[in-house]
Amino acid sequence: MKPGMDRSARNCKGCDDSYTVTEAQIQRILAAPMFQSSERCVDDEVYAARLRECGSCPKLMSGTTCIVCGCIVQISAKYKEKSCPNPNDVRWRSVASH
Amino acid sequence: MSNQITINADIAKGTINRNIYGHFSEHLGRCIYEGFWVGEDSVIPNTKGIRNDVVEALKKLNIPVLRWPGGCFADEYHWKDGIGPSEERKRMINTHWGGVVENNHFGTHEFLLLCEQLGCEPYISGNVGSGTVQEMSEWVEYMTFDGVSPMAELREKNGREKPWKLKYFGVGNENWGCGGNMRPEYYADLYRRYQTYVRNYGDNEIYRIACGPNVDDYKWMEVLMREAAGKMDGISLHYYTVPKDWQDKGAATGFPEDEWALTLRKALWMEELITKHSAIMDQYDPEKRVGLIVDEWGTWFNTEPGTNPGFLYQQNSIRDALVAGLTLHIFHDHCDRVQMANIAQIVNVLQSVILTEGEKMLLTPTYHIFDMFKVHQDAELLDTHTTSARYEHGDELLPQISVSASKAADGKIHISLCNLDHSAEADVSIALRGLTQGLKTIKGTVLSGAAIDSHNTFEQPNAVEPAAFTSFTWDGAQVSAKLPAMSVTVLELIEQ
Ligand code: SF4
Repeated sequence: MKPGMDRSARNCKGCDDSYTVTEAQIQRILAAPMFQSSERCVDDEVYAARLRECGSCPKLMSGTTCIVCGCIVQISAKYKEKSCPNPNDVRWRSVASH
Repeated sequence: MSNQITINADIAKGTINRNIYGHFSEHLGRCIYEGFWVGEDSVIPNTKGIRNDVVEALKKLNIPVLRWPGGCFADEYHWKDGIGPSEERKRMINTHWGGVVENNHFGTHEFLLLCEQLGCEPYISGNVGSGTVQEMSEWVEYMTFDGVSPMAELREKNGREKPWKLKYFGVGNENWGCGGNMRPEYYADLYRRYQTYVRNYGDNEIYRIACGPNVDDYKWMEVLMREAAGKMDGISLHYYTVPKDWQDKGAATGFPEDEWALTLRKALWMEELITKHSAIMDQYDPEKRVGLIVDEWGTWFNTEPGTNPGFLYQQNSIRDALVAGLTLHIFHDHCDRVQMANIAQIVNVLQSVILTEGEKMLLTPTYHIFDMFKVHQDAELLDTHTTSARYEHGDELLPQISVSASKAADGKIHISLCNLDHSAEADVSIALRGLTQGLKTIKGTVLSGAAIDSHNTFEQPNAVEPAAFTSFTWDGAQVSAKLPAMSVTVLELIEQ
């Protein structure tokens, strides 16, 4: 379908590019107040270490999406209670023990 | 006002085809990979690469049929990429869904093995959009030819000597959209051509399903039935319940009260769609030989925040349970025409019955509806008359209750009841006529939620689960019950 067309008249459900997650979208989400809370979020050091692990992980797609859980890792890595979802190769565990 | 129901236990209106309880699985997001397929070397317990926990949970539902490999993916799928030694299989980009690299580790053999593990019938969607007649013809030969043929030999080389039984085959998917953007006249001709080569080998008889309309595209139905009704056994219909619009569909949880009633009203539209499409089908097929196959239905919300939007991962709440209950009731009512339905999609995508995250798995409220309602599979639909109270909320005016009753082969009568009202209980009186003997026992099960978006999480996987239902009294052939707000209840009645 063409942009601006009425979506109800669209041809099918898969023909847009909604899976392409932009840096701007990620930054907009990360600007939300909850990501400034130290109660819910890890500190910058842990965050960076987690993202380093994701960066070299074969389960990372397009630099943003973890294909094990479907999460945008730049967002999920912020949450304290989140863990790396890949039971075959739990990468964040080594990070958390640092 | 209370709700009055009369059930004529001696008037059967048709058989509820068990295939109405079918499911759909597409190579999309984490449905196939992670949802079913983890590979043999995974620490997640699996049998030949297919995770055991998901199979066990699904077996309990008595899944009758599973559709695969799409969806839009079907019209990009070249089956020969997905056979042979897995390390040699072609890698491709799944352009329809998320741009994920598809390594083809889950292909024909793995899907048919999954169906064997689930004890269900496979329903395969062939590629009309970007495939060839030869390719489709050879796929059917590969799966079902019993004897010496090039495709049977290839199958044997890949480790399977005996052919599989394959009944359900779709000739294309959404060919009005992602499956080729065709006009109905063009697709009708292509359908006639492609289905010619979808052959019956030996005693394997294929039930051919044509691509039918998107939602209320009545012209598509008209043209397809006019041009090809005699060459098909079934025709598909796709309709999704989207509360708001496609730009902002509404959230799966945390939604305002208004969206509760709005969603249910949109789910109830399925009744009108089936009635009108059936009326067109009746003109060309008054004997109702051709089945209406609703092979994609379910709720479609905004994806869970923080997940890739292309993966269509959404939570599933008590509202989804009501949509499932209402929709299954509509399918029951039309069981003379609706011969199969496939909810989208079985694991991790849209209105799923199961969600997974790594080795964790949870059952959704929709799972529980399919579990509670499985007693209707292959049962005789009973003549039922309902006078419902009104459920009014904002601009919405809906019936408060929805009812369906059936009689199983063992003589048990099951009555399923949905209370659509998000805030009020429903008093119901059920008069049972035509019983052969008096009632001996009644048992009940109910699914409800504490809030309009009650749902299960990996931290609290049993927040929404069925409970024994005891808020009823009965006397002779008269039952009075009080249904909780936003609930689905199933009663089991046994005669003396
Ligand atoms: S599996 Fe773990 S390390 Fe790999 S991308 Fe996902 S979260 Fe990151």
